[in-house]
Amino acid sequence: MAMNALYARRRVSDRIATGLAYAAAAFGLGWLVLILGVLIYQGIGGLSLEVFTQNTPPPGSAGGLLNAIVGSIAMTVLAILIGTPIGVLAGTYLAEYGRHDRLAMIVRFINDILLSAPSVVVGLFVYEVLVAPMGHFSGYAGSVALAVIVIPVVVRTTEDMLRLVPDTLREAAASIGLPRSKMIMRIAYRAARAGIITGILLAVARISGETAPLLFTALNNQFFSLNMNAPMPSLPVVIFQFALSPYEEWQKLAWTGALLITATVLALSIFARSLTARK
Amino acid sequence: MSTAPSQDASVATPTVLHQAVDTAGLKEKVSLKNLEFFYGDSRALKGINLPLYANKTTAFIGPSGCGKSTLLRVLNRMYDLYPGQRATGQVLFDGENLLDASVDINLLRARIGMVFQKPTPFPMSIYENIAFGIRLYEKLPRAEIDARVETALRRAALWDEVKDKLGSSGLGLSGGQQQRLCIARTVAVKPEVILFDEPCSALDPISTAKIEELIDELKQDYTIVIVTHNMQQAARVSDFTAFMYLGELIEFGPTATLFTTPRDKRTQAYITGRFG
Amino acid sequence: MGARVSEVAIKETSLPVGHSASRIAVLRRLRASDVSFKFLTRAAAIAVLVLLSGTLLSLVIGSVPAFRAFGFSFVTTEVWNPVTEQFGALAPIYGTLVTSFIAMLIAVPIGIMIAFFLTELCPKFLRRPIAIAIELLAGIPSIIYGIWGLFVFAPFVQKHIQPALIDTFDGWPVLGSLFEGPPYGIGMLTAGFILAIMVLPFVTAISRDVFDAVPAVLKEATYGLGCTTWEVFKFVILPYTRVGVIGGVMLGLGRALGETMAVTFVIGNAHTVSASILAPGTTISASIANEFTEAVGDLYTSSLIALGLILFFITFIVLAAARYMLLRIEQKGR
Repeated sequence: MAMNALYARRRVSDRIATGLAYAAAAFGLGWLVLILGVLIYQGIGGLSLEVFTQNTPPPGSAGGLLNAIVGSIAMTVLAILIGTPIGVLAGTYLAEYGRHDRLAMIVRFINDILLSAPSVVVGLFVYEVLVAPMGHFSGYAGSVALAVIVIPVVVRTTEDMLRLVPDTLREAAASIGLPRSKMIMRIAYRAARAGIITGILLAVARISGETAPLLFTALNNQFFSLNMNAPMPSLPVVIFQFALSPYEEWQKLAWTGALLITATVLALSIFARSLTARK
Repeated sequence: MSTAPSQDASVATPTVLHQAVDTAGLKEKVSLKNLEFFYGDSRALKGINLPLYANKTTAFIGPSGCGKSTLLRVLNRMYDLYPGQRATGQVLFDGENLLDASVDINLLRARIGMVFQKPTPFPMSIYENIAFGIRLYEKLPRAEIDARVETALRRAALWDEVKDKLGSSGLGLSGGQQQRLCIARTVAVKPEVILFDEPCSALDPISTAKIEELIDELKQDYTIVIVTHNMQQAARVSDFTAFMYLGELIEFGPTATLFTTPRDKRTQAYITGRFG
Repeated sequence: MGARVSEVAIKETSLPVGHSASRIAVLRRLRASDVSFKFLTRAAAIAVLVLLSGTLLSLVIGSVPAFRAFGFSFVTTEVWNPVTEQFGALAPIYGTLVTSFIAMLIAVPIGIMIAFFLTELCPKFLRRPIAIAIELLAGIPSIIYGIWGLFVFAPFVQKHIQPALIDTFDGWPVLGSLFEGPPYGIGMLTAGFILAIMVLPFVTAISRDVFDAVPAVLKEATYGLGCTTWEVFKFVILPYTRVGVIGGVMLGLGRALGETMAVTFVIGNAHTVSASILAPGTTISASIANEFTEAVGDLYTSSLIALGLILFFITFIVLAAARYMLLRIEQKGR
């Protein structure tokens, strides 16, 4: 009968679509396993104490990643120090003063665009503004480039977290005469503290793996250096250089460095997630 | 069906008809036998025994949380969508137990349709809302579908209001019109039973009146079950009423007698507004 | 918090009458801190705007020499010769668009199907773990995708995929030229595929969010008609969430267009426009990343910055459109 044939076809379509959906999920998960699997396999092989105690070697010899790790940490810390205050304050403005404000609407829109903007363009910007006038590459320029990436992340999470603080809390503060700024600093921030910290952690995770913005700001340095006013080594750039080289020692170090970055990023993400989950 | 004095409802004994029902000329379309329903481990429906007569309207009434919506949703196995919810017992639909695992749920739902509390037009044009359902089950030429759409809309007393804008989105209609669209959609699929889950609770009094009129007419071709928290509505619209309380069927009988001479004192208390 | 707040309150009320001058001083101080705090936050917000305009401005200024030398033909010229100082953006633009297109072609259907799986088919207890796993894909830094692509994926493609594609489509009228050339392993197809895996989590995450927001009643009504799960998805969930899904797709596209490290390793860095997607090519971001530090001469540098400006425009438009669409959804509450 016509109805049975039609229904049979519908059933088949449903089965096929369901199968495709399962396959898609397996596809996505499969690549994750493949990528992480290879990363761990290749990276662990090169993992040793030397990695953390020796500097990057010249081509063809063994060495470690100490200067790159330290450089990355230094620039990350500075980037967070620069970007977090600006990000938190801007996010505060959007959440507390900018509910119906025209400026806030524009800033929010622009910020969301900056959030996904190509990081290579950020590198160019900082090059033009810092490196070219200064005449040389520097760790400072690298940190600034990373800070530019940090700011939109922190703005967004700060605003989102502050928005979650119930208005009743704000009204209670106002009703005893607490001035706006003190209310924000003492009450709203405290209430949203976990979320804001999560945002900062996520920003750290994000910049830990960023390579392009560092390529023409901090450049690279094969020696150990804490001089921020000169080219600064970093893990991502070292990986970039070593992976594209023909030297086996360098390639091994590149994998190890990649494993270190990924482990850091994933650990930060999981930690950040657990902070907000525990609430 | 025999009559018997009301029994202590703490044990899951089969509830018996409390009112005398003249079963001459009545056919049982759906029979619930010892139906129990569970949300996870908690039992929400206890030992329900109930007949639903063909081409009649049966109303489920009772205070919030009594299980009337839960009971309604068993009839088209809507709970199947949610793991952790299950039903035991028998629900005989034309003699076959629709709780059985071998029953094809999609075909079942084509025979037992449902109209929900909130109007739920699909994100499509008014025409498509109705044609969509028809096309699921029948391959018809365009002209015939047009005719079926018109019939369904006329049945739902909506045709005159929308005949010039069949192509516009269903979401552009008012609440009452949307609900009538949903009814038209349900009717277009030619079900045998239509379940109404508080269909008027989100609507204004005028729309409510129109829909009650509709339900009265639909009874001629379909078996209707309606859940309502509005007792006056139940009294207006239904032929039989089932009063539920805390997951049990307390009393069942012809609407007129249940409302005027209820047997159980809980029924009496609810009807007179003592609680609810 | 309680102690602090009441501290302020008590200070106010317990001031002896005769010292109203100091109370005024306190209030004035509080007012000043209020005003300066608001000013500070406002300044920070404006700083965000300054960042964007500053970026735009610096790119424009930096690319002036290139545009002055080449004019509009910069965008249509394929030649890229640092020696003769002839630069054309056609190859990078072409590569950016082609790799992103390939990426979206793969990532969008698969991402939507994964979201369908997560919201309608997946057993409840598996939902969170799988969702988190897919998000982990988004968290992996792009340079990891790059080296993985270079050392693992490209050789595999070179050995197995590309020869198969070349042989299969050998001699076909249109498709033949799409899949021709020596199997390098690297190339636009490889880069596009790796981009797809990077973009996949974004499309999945946003699609999942909008699918979850479909009212349960609407889904029940569709099931109530006897529709299968796929039909509920195809005829109700997808149309209902159409705008959100498109917004998510465009967000993914914005990412794909600007992605640097994942592509640089496997695109081949050849400033050529080829019909075959198995051929090496280049993208805007890959060109900049590879050549900027070695660019000698103002015109070379300026040309690369001009490339950056073009990329900035393309991604800005795509991202702005995406955000606008997602904004419309948040406002409608749909």
